[in-house]
Amino acid sequence: MIEVKNVSKTFKLNKKQKKELDTTEDFSHAVKDVSFTCQPGRVFSLLGPNGAGKTTTLRMISTIFKPTQGSISVCGLDTVKEELEIRKKIGFLTGSTGLYQRLTANEILNYFGKLYKLSDSEIESRKKELYALLDMDSFQNKRIGKLSTGMKQKVSIARTMIHDPEVVIFDEPTSGLDVITSENIIKLIKSCKEQGKTVIFSSHIMSEVDLLCDDMAIIDQGEILFSGSMDQFRSEMKESTLTGEFIRIVNEKRAS
Amino acid sequence: MIFNIFKKELIDTLRDKRTLMAMVIIPLLVFPLIMTVFTSISKSYTKDLAEKTLKVGVIEGVENNELLMFMDTLQMSGKVELFYYADTNELKTQIKEDKLHFGMYFPADFNSKLKGNSTGEVKIFHNSTKLGYKEQLKLILELKTKSIEENRLAALKVTPENIEPIKLDFQDVASDKEKIGKIAGGILPYFFIIFCFIGCMYPSIDLFTGEKERGTIETILTVPVTRVQLLIGKMGVVVCSGLLAATLSLLGLFITLQFGTVIEDPKLMEVITGILSAKFILTLYLLLIPLTIFFAGIMIPIAVYAKSFKEAQSIITPLNMIVILPAMVGFFPGIELNLTTSFIPVVNIVLSTKEIIAGTTNYGYLGIVFISSVLLAAIAIFISHKQYSKETNVVI
Repeated sequence: MIEVKNVSKTFKLNKKQKKELDTTEDFSHAVKDVSFTCQPGRVFSLLGPNGAGKTTTLRMISTIFKPTQGSISVCGLDTVKEELEIRKKIGFLTGSTGLYQRLTANEILNYFGKLYKLSDSEIESRKKELYALLDMDSFQNKRIGKLSTGMKQKVSIARTMIHDPEVVIFDEPTSGLDVITSENIIKLIKSCKEQGKTVIFSSHIMSEVDLLCDDMAIIDQGEILFSGSMDQFRSEMKESTLTGEFIRIVNEKRAS
Repeated sequence: MIFNIFKKELIDTLRDKRTLMAMVIIPLLVFPLIMTVFTSISKSYTKDLAEKTLKVGVIEGVENNELLMFMDTLQMSGKVELFYYADTNELKTQIKEDKLHFGMYFPADFNSKLKGNSTGEVKIFHNSTKLGYKEQLKLILELKTKSIEENRLAALKVTPENIEPIKLDFQDVASDKEKIGKIAGGILPYFFIIFCFIGCMYPSIDLFTGEKERGTIETILTVPVTRVQLLIGKMGVVVCSGLLAATLSLLGLFITLQFGTVIEDPKLMEVITGILSAKFILTLYLLLIPLTIFFAGIMIPIAVYAKSFKEAQSIITPLNMIVILPAMVGFFPGIELNLTTSFIPVVNIVLSTKEIIAGTTNYGYLGIVFISSVLLAAIAIFISHKQYSKETNVVI
């Protein structure tokens, strides 16, 4: 379970960042007063265009960033006060595989297993399970740099799931992947849901959201524009397509 | 946990060809290469010069010239070859064009002055950019001037002692070790410090900026370890790389001295082996460890701040100059370890090492050097930690 309550995040901009963003403001408001809840056994999607604040929100949930205001609880634990405890319970996966190129799949899983404080035997049995599930046996001892994108994605998934997390956070997990490779992620999300895990993923592709999620929040310029179940979204929509409705909501807010 | 992080980062670092090159290959080969090339070039140059025939141009019309006659006899041995010219301009041109090594011009009164127990002056044209030739000619002509001198003294019934009323006999109390320490002592710490710095450079960029560039930073920050643990694990690898590079450069030096033909004098070799004692090496490391931590502590905040390998490299590389200049202080005579210099980072390590090599260590100053280095290292760790904990720096 993830509970995000009135969370805001501002970053102080340095001179270089001000120049890059072409602004004279001292602070950038990445997320403004955001609230939502993700339930176990359900898939929650954070939908929004690029730069909407999706990644910042997910980074706050995964304890990389601290909220400027508000609070986030994951499995009943506070992300600021109990960050290390929370980290044991979450798995974090991004579109960029986030793997060490010069290590082998085996070495990476051993390393992360140890970082998650698993015992050697626990690591071995988890690895065996994941290798079988993801069909990874043939390349477990090859260096990541020599693997194909699909293989890397599998290693990345195994790395995320090595400690069997209760909560899985995906930050645009399919961005830059072809349909075949994306399929691995989609399968993973579905299986996490079946296992009763809490799943949150961010995306800017409506069709992907439609395919997987039970609940959804639309975010733009750091603000939540819609939050509710997918069924609710469908019943309230004014456009004929889901993507059309997503664009309408974003544009309507921007115009106001 | 820190050990696990350290182990992983070490494996990762050792598999990076770029780091391996800066950390292992270059430090190990630099001394053998420099010393072998340098000594073989200088040896062959000296040998060449000794075997070379000196081409000397002389203005025609000089008769009964004792010095010239002496040189004429030397033509047989191949040491000198004489050429005759009509005027000095042509002589000078030939020297400039490298066809002659020297040109000799004897004034008209040369012979009479020489015979009249006076000083006969001879003008010698030469090209000072051709090193070593002047000395070679002096050596040859001295044979003749000495014999004329002896003849004149004998004719006057004067012994050499008569004209040398006092002989200054300087007795050096400095040991060979001290002499080597003061002269060459600056070179060793210089290379040591430079390699420490270079050894730290690539791993610090690779392990900090590299995580950003390769997109691994987010995953590593979501594991249940604190940033301090991550920082220390990574810093450990950076420090070890610096020390490894320095150690390998020492090993390279040792191998060159032991198995090379750089130093042929067994007495000198004995002194050098004596310098590289276990005590010296231990003290050196005691000083180098905090210095390397300090280096790592300077580089890590930069590597954490930089967004790409290139950016980090472009900031850290100029820093190299800031380290090289104080490291060169050991080459200059007169700068000694004192209350002021023992507080200046890098300079204090160079001067201490110099003192240790020379065996003239002042343990009070050495203590200051060690404590001030440790303090600096602690400050550097603190700054690195501050920078590594900044949200905006860690994630792009």
